[in-house]
Amino acid sequence: MVKGFRPETLKEALKLRAQYDCLPIAGGTDLMVQKARGFALKPDFRKPLLFIGHLPELQRLEVINRQIHIGAGVILTDLLNSETIPDIFKEILALMASPPSRNLASIGGNICNASPAGDTLPYLYAMDAQVVLQSTDGERIIPIAGFITGPKQTDLKNSELLTKIIIPQTEFDINMYRKIGQRKGMSLTKAAFLGMANVADGKIQDIRIAFGSVAQTVVRSGKIEQSIVGKSTKDIVKNISEISRQYAALIRPIDDARSSAAYRKKVSLRLLEEFFVSNLAKVSNLRKAQSKGDIE
Amino acid sequence: MKESISKPIQRVDGPAKISGEARYIGDMHFENRLYAKTLRSTRAKARILSVKKPPLPRNYFIVGKDDVPGVNRMRTVVSDHPIFAEDTVEYIGQPILLVVGPEREKIYDIITKIKVEYEDLPALFTLEDAEKNSEVFTDYHYEKGEPQRAFGEAATIVEDEFRTGYQEHVYLEPQGMTAEFRDDTMFVYGSMQCPFYAEGALTEALGWPAERIRVIQTVTGGAFGGKEEFPSLTACQVAVAALKTGRPVTMIYDRDEDIICSTKRHPSIVRYKAALNRNQDIVALEIDVLLDAGAYNGLSPVVLQRSMFSATGVYNFPHLKVRGRNFMTNNVPSGAYRGFGAPQTIFGTEMMLHNIALKLGIDPLEYKMRHALKRGDPTCTGGKIRDIVKLPEIVKRVTQMSGYHDKRKNGQKYHGIGISLFLHGCGFTGNGEQTIGSKIILKKEGEKVILKVSSTEMGQGAETVLRKIVAYTVDIPFENVIYESVDTGKVPDSGPTVASRTTMIVGGLLQQAGLELKDRWHEADKIEVTRTYRHPDYIDWNNDTFQGDAYPTYSWGANVAEVEIDPVTYEIDVKKISAVYDVGLPIDETALRGQMQGGIVQGIGWATIEVMKTDEGRLIQKNLTDYKVPTSMDVPEVECDFINNPYEFGPFGAKCAGELPFVGSPPAVAAAVSNALGVPIRSIPITPEMLMEMDSDEN
Ligand SMILES: Cc1cc2nc3c(=O)[nH]c(=O)nc-3n(C[C@H](O)[C@H](O)[C@H](O)COP(=O)(O)OP(=O)(O)OC[C@H]3O[C@@H](n4cnc5c(N)ncnc54)[C@H](O)[C@@H]3O)c2cc1C
Repeated sequence: MVKGFRPETLKEALKLRAQYDCLPIAGGTDLMVQKARGFALKPDFRKPLLFIGHLPELQRLEVINRQIHIGAGVILTDLLNSETIPDIFKEILALMASPPSRNLASIGGNICNASPAGDTLPYLYAMDAQVVLQSTDGERIIPIAGFITGPKQTDLKNSELLTKIIIPQTEFDINMYRKIGQRKGMSLTKAAFLGMANVADGKIQDIRIAFGSVAQTVVRSGKIEQSIVGKSTKDIVKNISEISRQYAALIRPIDDARSSAAYRKKVSLRLLEEFFVSNLAKVSNLRKAQSKGDIE
Repeated sequence: MKESISKPIQRVDGPAKISGEARYIGDMHFENRLYAKTLRSTRAKARILSVKKPPLPRNYFIVGKDDVPGVNRMRTVVSDHPIFAEDTVEYIGQPILLVVGPEREKIYDIITKIKVEYEDLPALFTLEDAEKNSEVFTDYHYEKGEPQRAFGEAATIVEDEFRTGYQEHVYLEPQGMTAEFRDDTMFVYGSMQCPFYAEGALTEALGWPAERIRVIQTVTGGAFGGKEEFPSLTACQVAVAALKTGRPVTMIYDRDEDIICSTKRHPSIVRYKAALNRNQDIVALEIDVLLDAGAYNGLSPVVLQRSMFSATGVYNFPHLKVRGRNFMTNNVPSGAYRGFGAPQTIFGTEMMLHNIALKLGIDPLEYKMRHALKRGDPTCTGGKIRDIVKLPEIVKRVTQMSGYHDKRKNGQKYHGIGISLFLHGCGFTGNGEQTIGSKIILKKEGEKVILKVSSTEMGQGAETVLRKIVAYTVDIPFENVIYESVDTGKVPDSGPTVASRTTMIVGGLLQQAGLELKDRWHEADKIEVTRTYRHPDYIDWNNDTFQGDAYPTYSWGANVAEVEIDPVTYEIDVKKISAVYDVGLPIDETALRGQMQGGIVQGIGWATIEVMKTDEGRLIQKNLTDYKVPTSMDVPEVECDFINNPYEFGPFGAKCAGELPFVGSPPAVAAAVSNALGVPIRSIPITPEMLMEMDSDEN
């Protein structure tokens, strides 16, 4: 028999978590696939399950002090329907799985599964999101990049649950997201690119760049981003091959059943260039033109 | 005047499938039944040194080669696949034995405890290796005209080579079968296309006469050829198990098991050598077809025949030399799949012409039409195109529909348009129809007519269409035509439900019988009319020399594909397919459109999405996480039209339709991609990975 606990409150859940060596399960859209043994056979659950998807404390979605607090149990469909979620994040969510899967899949599950192809991760990295980890002993709040330690690996302690994700309520003027899958829907990511930036007076004020599915974890470099901030878009476009070279050193994809390392790397760098050359340069030119009153 | 038979009615199998009332084999209950699971080879080629079995609990059994009372081979065209492996295994996934018992968990536990000791043997994994080692199952040749002389006189000689990959059927319902031994008879129930194939296989495996065997088709959730010959294997396995245990035995695959061990579309290499005259026309063609049959030949020889007889497409090349070979590799066996060998060579031939035209600076469509078959022309095997050829009308319509000429003229990089012309030989290849000699029965009982055929409904609409033919012919309400359940104990053998033959061949027989029944309607309350198929008299086929009419007639079509390639990522977006077909006359326009749309999309999948490769005999894409088929998001706009061209011997003029759309879309999409990027396309599936490499090579 597969054993399970279905607590009514988070407090109860944390108690059970402290007491038993158990496996949290939210929507189960990762777990049920990973643990499947075959038709009409019980899944391979070695530990008792702790059902948490229904817990009311994990369903909250609110803005506190210009930060979006998302309960770990919030399903992707609810994020898509929410007014507080920025459009660029919705664009990412809308390309995940399919409507029925999004009705089950939680954001906490996507994070804790820590797949290199997890689609919410590039955005959460780019936003410097923080995760709230709770246990009966208290809570810790750490950056997502510190929480995810490798492919399928996190810093989650046996007594902890991920309860919340905190994202600064910042939106960018320029946003570009591309997910490349084997087909248009219901497809895991071969490579993903996210670029976000603010430009004023032809100069880059803030920039966030993240790559998914092309290394052990999300590729984001604060160092490279910092070196770009303050530069003019023109200079950046001129300098694009140097930036590209720096990212190339960080992008270390693999060959697998879905794509090749060569394609993943090349396409990531092409998307990066596309972001600078088409999106950034174009938009900042447009801005300039607008401020001169050339365009309505 | 009655309304045209083409006017759509509601599909009879629809409501039960949509509501969930339909009972598939997995929904059926059998008293006292046992389940079975297969122990499979984990080696590509090895000698089995020993099989160590754990002690079995009560009511658990192991069923293997020594339990087969008859011949331990699955009967098909070449009966070479053992029902259970004997001394060696030849591919990963090959069945060795079954573990049978009341509880699936325990069965699984026993399976994991069986230890097979292997001695690995040298194996072959690719077509190239097999060719080098001359591991040939089948080697066929045919010629037309004087190819040698024509090549000697050629102004130019052009060579080209094309490749196509595996394709998995991904029918919604995986393979499933139950056998029950009672009343001295073996009853076999399951998801299948061809109950009489299974019956034939069972007579040999059990060594029993057909009278002691009943095969009953259960509601079948898709097949596409994947339930043509493969269910014969599982039918024999569960029957042997039912005999040994004395209890009903059910075996149902889950998706992963189904993908690993079931048949797939043959990967191919097709080589061309074309002799052009001074006008740049192709006067002679050498075609070399190589198919990867996998570890056993099975029905691959017939697949190879269709591949070879379709290799000249809609064209008349005066001189021909065609060779076809099935190669043995230690991969999972290939088998029947919608199109049956034709898609591989039609793709090659269309792209060969496309590539030559581009090289010559001629519009591919114009170049193709210069070679197009006309009525009265000889077929590639020296038969005759007897019926009116409406290819010019088809091309006119499809180019108008799509704005082909304008769009081609105003082409921009990354936006492509491409055209394919194609045909499909209707019914069995060669003398297949003559050998099978399909039988049908129509039985009048009062106001009702019972229709007895072995044609299976598998989602394609056969039941609706055949009942409609009878209702229209006898002139009785549709509801008064009863479709007898497909049970080899109740229906005659009207042949397998394959080769796009059901509407034309079986429907044709039903129409003939229906006409007789209508004439004799007032004779009695109970009347039985039967018919047996015979080819029209003019058809002459020699199966030894491959000379004559390989098919009684052909259906035709043209597709125009429009694609957009993402300039950054090289993702392929198929925007629109315009399609025009001559299938004689549509028996039900909605059912037919469904077939066309489905076939087009399945073809797009094979051409652009469905990557399946093996690594030393092991599938790399072995589940639906990695092996992708199109979803509704990937379906382009499809505009589809029909040009009527009634066939004398088809019911109401109908010809074949089921496979035709599959054949057409891959070369159209490939031509469009070629047009978008200005590169030749020589293999499918076309992936962004491949295009990025090609485009950067060009730059
Ligand atoms: C058909 C299909 C398509 C998919 N497509 C995509 C896609 O396009 N992109 C993508 O990124 N993913 C995709 N996925 C994967 C999956 O749906 C997502 O990762 C989803 O967000 C997981 O959420 P869940 O609630 O179902 O997680 P679960 O399966 O319940 O859990 C996943 C893991 O997280 C742990 N966990 C869950 N919640 C917590 C918590 N609060 N605290 C601690 N540990 C926790 C579990 O123990 C488990 O290890 C797809 C899955 C399927 C089946």
